[in-house]
Amino acid sequence: MKESVEHGETSSKAPLSKGVSKGVSILDVILRFVAIIGALASAIAMGTTNQTLPFFTQFIRFKAQYNDLPTLTFFVVANSIVCAYLILSLPLSIVHVIRSRAKYSRLILIFFDAAMLALVTAGASAAAAIVYLAHKGNVRANWLAICQQFDSFCERISGSLIGSFATMVVLVLLIFLSAIALARR
Amino acid sequence: MSGAGEPATVSIPIHDHAATGKAPAATSSAVPAAAAAAPAPAAAVAPRKVGIPFFRRGDHHRGSRCLAFLDFILRIAAFGPALAAAIATGTSDETLSVFTQFFQFRARFDDFPAFLFFMVANAIVAGYLVLSLPFSAVLVLRPQTIGLRLLLLVCDMIMAALLTAAAAAAAAIVDLAHNGNLRANWVAICMQFHGFCQRTSGSVVASFLTVVILMFLVILASCSIRKR
Repeated sequence: MKESVEHGETSSKAPLSKGVSKGVSILDVILRFVAIIGALASAIAMGTTNQTLPFFTQFIRFKAQYNDLPTLTFFVVANSIVCAYLILSLPLSIVHVIRSRAKYSRLILIFFDAAMLALVTAGASAAAAIVYLAHKGNVRANWLAICQQFDSFCERISGSLIGSFATMVVLVLLIFLSAIALARR
Repeated sequence: MSGAGEPATVSIPIHDHAATGKAPAATSSAVPAAAAAAPAPAAAVAPRKVGIPFFRRGDHHRGSRCLAFLDFILRIAAFGPALAAAIATGTSDETLSVFTQFFQFRARFDDFPAFLFFMVANAIVAGYLVLSLPFSAVLVLRPQTIGLRLLLLVCDMIMAALLTAAAAAAAAIVDLAHNGNLRANWVAICMQFHGFCQRTSGSVVASFLTVVILMFLVILASCSIRKR
């Protein structure tokens, strides 16, 4: 009985359900744009960090860049990869708006979206751990808080985390939307 | 019972060979069978199946049931590493016998907020996996519930993201503990705290294994949703 109802739905395609499918696909495209902006802004903000202190003491170097810390390098690389993937997947989701009967492409999109979600989450949270360490230091391990000296470097690396976490949330929503679109077919 | 004059339904009954010896010869002679013939072999087959009542032949949802069973098994497999990582991090406590001017002589997991978050996240994911086992079992018995599959997919994805975040943060701290950082003058503490380092590094690896299994569960759930 359920299959006959679904068969009737796909054969006659009630306008409301078709409108909802189109709305889901359009929302998918919009969210992809938002995620592209977030990832790109994070990568650029972190990648252009460069602060040179005017003084020079015996123990602390006087220059800070993002590639002094390998975790921040990973952050920039991960955000760049996710941004590139989202730009490349934008045509596919625009195709979904036009032809919403695609069978395998939504599955491929979910697969790659999940992989990119893992990548951006890993990059953002590893960088967050290092930024927290830079702000607070660690008394037990004798790790000094470098934010005392490099305040503008610190502000920038803290701010660039926001875009990356926003991209992560948007990717979760994208996977959810794709799953709903798969279930409605 | 040959019903060769039935043009409406074409159903190919799969006869049990042990029950009816003449059945293969009858089906090979006439392809369309009567609708009345279908319940008779089913009634003959059903009482003979013991143990696994839902892998009947001619079951339309057999592919979905296989995927749901695989989902159940993978959930049990993911629970192990998550629990092991939580326990190993939670019981990491190393006290050195030497005491120098610059190093504290004791390292615990809650000296590092990243490890605390890591342990809590692993405990949450392990608890979630145990709690989602009954729902996965329900999906094996009734594979046509799409809403439950969607719910499990969303929850699996959120737990995977949480665990990835915790594992990545702990991995960043572990990498710093192993290598240190010259620019920021952060000393590699693994030189002194061998046991603590080994334990936390192993937990991070186990946690990433759980992440991979959870991602696979998400893919599996979306395949099952598409397949139905």
